[in-house]
Amino acid sequence: MTALITQAVILGILLGGLYALLAAGLTLYFGVMRVVMIAHSAFLILAAYLAWAFHRATGIDPLFSLIATVPLFFLLGVVMQRFLLSRLKPATLTMMSVLLTFAIALIIEGMLGFVWTGTQRRISLSYSTASLEVFGANIAVVKLVAFGLAAVSLLALYLLMKATSFGQALRATIQHKEAAALLGIDTEKVAGYGFGLGLATAAIGGTALALDSTIYPSLHWHWIGPLMAIIVVGGLGSIPGAAIAALVLGLSQSLLQIPLGTTWAQTVFYLALFITLMVRPQGFFGGRLAQRF
Amino acid sequence: MPNASDLATPTPTAPDTGRPDDSAGERFDRRLGLAKAGLGVVAIVLALMVPWLAPDAFILSVAVVIASYAAFAVGWNFVGGFTGYISLGHASYSGLGGYAVALLTTHTGINPWVALVLGAVVVALLAVPIGIASLRVRGASFVIVSIALVLILLLVFQSWASVTGGSEGLRVPRPFDSSVLRPEQHTRFYFLFLVLIGIALVVWWLIDRSQFGAGLKAIREDEDKAEALGVPTFRYKLVVFVISAFFTSLAGGLYALWFGNLDPVFQFSILTGSYMVLMSLFGGIRSLVGPVVGAVVVGYAMEVFKAQYGDSQFHLVALGLLLAVVVLFMPEGVVPEVLGLVHRLRPAATSIREESAAQLLERNRAIDAERRAQTEATSEREPVEDPRHATTGKGRS
Repeated sequence: MTALITQAVILGILLGGLYALLAAGLTLYFGVMRVVMIAHSAFLILAAYLAWAFHRATGIDPLFSLIATVPLFFLLGVVMQRFLLSRLKPATLTMMSVLLTFAIALIIEGMLGFVWTGTQRRISLSYSTASLEVFGANIAVVKLVAFGLAAVSLLALYLLMKATSFGQALRATIQHKEAAALLGIDTEKVAGYGFGLGLATAAIGGTALALDSTIYPSLHWHWIGPLMAIIVVGGLGSIPGAAIAALVLGLSQSLLQIPLGTTWAQTVFYLALFITLMVRPQGFFGGRLAQRF
Repeated sequence: MPNASDLATPTPTAPDTGRPDDSAGERFDRRLGLAKAGLGVVAIVLALMVPWLAPDAFILSVAVVIASYAAFAVGWNFVGGFTGYISLGHASYSGLGGYAVALLTTHTGINPWVALVLGAVVVALLAVPIGIASLRVRGASFVIVSIALVLILLLVFQSWASVTGGSEGLRVPRPFDSSVLRPEQHTRFYFLFLVLIGIALVVWWLIDRSQFGAGLKAIREDEDKAEALGVPTFRYKLVVFVISAFFTSLAGGLYALWFGNLDPVFQFSILTGSYMVLMSLFGGIRSLVGPVVGAVVVGYAMEVFKAQYGDSQFHLVALGLLLAVVVLFMPEGVVPEVLGLVHRLRPAATSIREESAAQLLERNRAIDAERRAQTEATSEREPVEDPRHATTGKGRS
């Protein structure tokens, strides 16, 4: 029993790490543009498919696909921000951007199904079945790799935000766009890069996902719900809030799987979402701006 | 006479914002009203004749599907059109409506039509706590909650197989006995959907003209200002949310009775919800007939697309592209755009189209300036100095 719980705790933390990275991406979009990016998880699945296709075509470890997908997704994010989202009217931006990114999610899902059919895909690697024994719990190596990838990316994102002048400009843009512009920051450009960074997290997360999960085009609906719940619980716009909520909810999901099974355990996200809205609509770590959006 | 009055009231600042007593404009309005009424009558007659115009049962079933889309879109538009809260999760209410009818008829054996209304009432009651939770947040968070609701219901209805049948599906008893053949069933359900759409449109129209409707539209324009002006925003939103859930659930229940089988994957599908949004947006969420027009055009296009290319993944791409185009290029919808074009032809248009705060301000300013000019003119009675030109020239800059 204790081994089972240890395993659940470790798996929960590993899963929470991936959630945290993806939620950080969502938070970035929201921070720079006040946009809720429904297509985030669709890009996640797209990256997973690209990693899978790369592995199938070349036989090289799918992790190397990151060399191409991360810059590609970054560029895609910049283009999306500049040519699609900034075209929307500011007054209705929040609602219309949700619909626009929803449309993008549909297009990606449809294209994935069109190109690679709806068949379930899985990458098999030499270390796919390998596992480590930690405190009597069996932890798959691929999950550790995925977590490592997420943790390193989150750390890199953190350092980028805290230690570079671009990070400073990005944080200023998130905090107060007009004031940042007055200080001479090209907020439009920074917002574009922020969007690109957000999509880059989807590229990394997708590759990590492809390592140990079966993927199919409509999988993104299973990810967007929990991710949305995480950013609302954490408070829209707060990266630490999103990370903490991701770990807590990932852990709860993993632990609840023991008594409830995988399907019902998923409801913890939605329950947390509804409880948050009833008790504290701005989220548990959110600032003043959260409730308005 | 009309010419004289025309000459006497030129509007130099904004020529397209004339006054309602403008006679040329009145004539135009009368003609436009006639044209609208004529178009409406033609549309209604055509809609009523569909069962006789349809060449076979399949086309008739497509007509029923489109009618159901229209009923969903009109139900959605209560909350989307009035308050501007875009719910992507209205499939929750249509799905719940369907299951409510199915479960009520199979377990209690009551008349399916009573079950339909009863089920919708139950769903409306369920919508109260959901509304209280989700209407506390605005914009994006509201959309997230609406999507989450569909996902959670999908999860519950798939897992709770002992009650809902799970992925096996749940059979809905037929409301008409087996002597009624398929095409006749289609015809009957088609008219039932038309009746439902008619009732929903009348309710929408009544709200649109009421003080309640004005409050809701104030919420759409600026919720904080509306609240400051004394609109009980939360109560208004909640009431219209429940009305919307009621009508959507009626449509869902009717669809369930027609289709005869329920599968959670299709009942609680985000796609169903996005159809409602796309159709309403396409037609124009601020107009009465917008959602119906949108449902007919988009629904027809979707059905043709499915017939041509099969129910493949590719229709998702088409749906996505269409939604993106609507959002990017005509967020107001087709009906208001067309009406706007027609109004350009008007000699001096009044605002039948709803206007934004900026437009209203501009118009009020023009009226204000004119009134001031008139009072000055009556008090001074100096024909030499035209006060109207004085105000437009230097007064308001």
